[in-house]
Amino acid sequence: MLLTVKDLTKKFNHKIVVNNINLSINQGDLVAFLGPNGAGKSTTINMLTGIIPPTTGIIKLDGLQPSSTQYHQKIGVVFQNSVLDNELTVKENLLSRQKMYRNSVDKLDDWIDKFALQSILNQKYGVLSGGQKRRVDIVRALIHDPELLFLDEPTTGLDIQTRKLIWKVLSDLRKETKLTIVLTTHYLEEAELADFVYVIDHGQVIAADTVNNLKQNFAQDVLTIYPSDMMKISQILSDYKYQIDGQQVAIFVQQYQAIDLLNKLKPVINSFEYRRGNMDDIFLNLTGKGVE
Amino acid sequence: MKGLITRNLRLFFASKSGIFFSLMGALISFVLYLVFLKQMMTQNWQSVPDSKNLLDLWLMGGTLTVTAITTTGNALGLMVKDRESNRLADLILTDQSYLKIHSAYLLSAWLVGIIMQLAMYLIMQAYFMIQDGIGFESSILLPLLVVMIFSSLIWSVFNMLLFSFVKKVDTLGKISTIIGTASGFFAGVYMPIGNLPNFAKWLMKLTPVPYDSAIFRQVMMKNQLNDSFKNAPTEIITKFKTEMGIVIGQNFNNDLKFMGLALVILAILVIILYRYNQRVVVNKV
Repeated sequence: MLLTVKDLTKKFNHKIVVNNINLSINQGDLVAFLGPNGAGKSTTINMLTGIIPPTTGIIKLDGLQPSSTQYHQKIGVVFQNSVLDNELTVKENLLSRQKMYRNSVDKLDDWIDKFALQSILNQKYGVLSGGQKRRVDIVRALIHDPELLFLDEPTTGLDIQTRKLIWKVLSDLRKETKLTIVLTTHYLEEAELADFVYVIDHGQVIAADTVNNLKQNFAQDVLTIYPSDMMKISQILSDYKYQIDGQQVAIFVQQYQAIDLLNKLKPVINSFEYRRGNMDDIFLNLTGKGVE
Repeated sequence: MKGLITRNLRLFFASKSGIFFSLMGALISFVLYLVFLKQMMTQNWQSVPDSKNLLDLWLMGGTLTVTAITTTGNALGLMVKDRESNRLADLILTDQSYLKIHSAYLLSAWLVGIIMQLAMYLIMQAYFMIQDGIGFESSILLPLLVVMIFSSLIWSVFNMLLFSFVKKVDTLGKISTIIGTASGFFAGVYMPIGNLPNFAKWLMKLTPVPYDSAIFRQVMMKNQLNDSFKNAPTEIITKFKTEMGIVIGQNFNNDLKFMGLALVILAILVIILYRYNQRVVVNKV
């Protein structure tokens, strides 16, 4: 176990923002905190990174506490907002941060290469686009070769190419270096990439499981058909769970059974759609509301 | 810590407009003097030989004090900006302790103050050399540098104390405006201290500002005073010195002692508030 968190609680002026959260994160895992805005994800990350102290609770990373300098050496953080200096160039920013670590590992050129920063190295950070900034932010977070990388909504507001690039490099990194990643997101497709998901709402963990288990328990695959003959449909579907909604029928059925079923339904339907259960369903089922 | 100081200095000197506005207070006092104060005061001290030269040096002394106050304040503004933008959190995540981060702000402001005072001195010296033909005295350079170093230190500590709990750049701007305006009055560059009512004099003397000006003036005007008042009776010299704020506490040593005491008090306050400040500034959402 790389990171263990017990009974973590944070109150701001008697308002409970994070309520009794327990986490255990394995080395090399990609863990997602999924939740709507204001769920307490960022506050949790800020406590895990040692920026704010918890009101109560224990955080241990390899036996270290967040207040120790060795703890800082082991973690890298990509903040929600950019935290580099606008007036300095990308290179000056990265070099100045590198100098602030005692045991800096000289992999900077490597990172610059991987995140395609070569062409913007001498530009001022302030004039970069959102996607470029984010790439620099991630390199800054990796500059001292941490074991655990925190990403606080890393891809919010970015275009699809940048998102893809970031995810490609991060997954390569995980393969190469066993980097552990903890990210907060309200993008469901990003949470689907995770090995383990904590669904957080109102400061509490309301579900903690692998994506597959969550899908099995809280999301259903749905076959939607548009029948030409409604009468015959109900006979064929007598053994299935289904819902009629106007001209369409939603049948809750697993992938392989769906093939058999569709064969039977073939003569009486005009068209059909099949949709796998996703994180959206999970969230909807868990909280009774969608992710904003 | 070297990395932090380099970063802070780079950020200060990267912004041309920032440098200009940090010198605003000093430039105002310089320009005001050129436009009308100079003429008014030369008339007042007509009887003194070479009064123009004497007053040029007098103005330079006060303006250097204002420069030290506003430029160190401007450099320490970075501390507040880092707090607001969350950059402080990022810096805390490095191997640098909060104490080192804090000290780096102070040391960079100190350096900025020295550099900017030197620059301001050179500008004014060059101007008055061309315009009024005042001489360049190499003998005062070393003592002047020492005073600059000292004055930059005390105002860095003062501004650090002032900004201890400021978290918003907006508040910082308001405080800077007040300080920038007040510093010119307290340094006695808009108006010699002798022309002010007693209450104002008393108020000024409670702060280190007029003492700093006085020390600068004593160092810079020493030779010219000796020349101009060669044959004058002591009471005339003393009157000139007190009226013009060249001596505040009877003599140079007393002024120096007062400044030293002020530095110690300010430094102690900064240290006392340090822990509390760390909690308030860092512990935010």
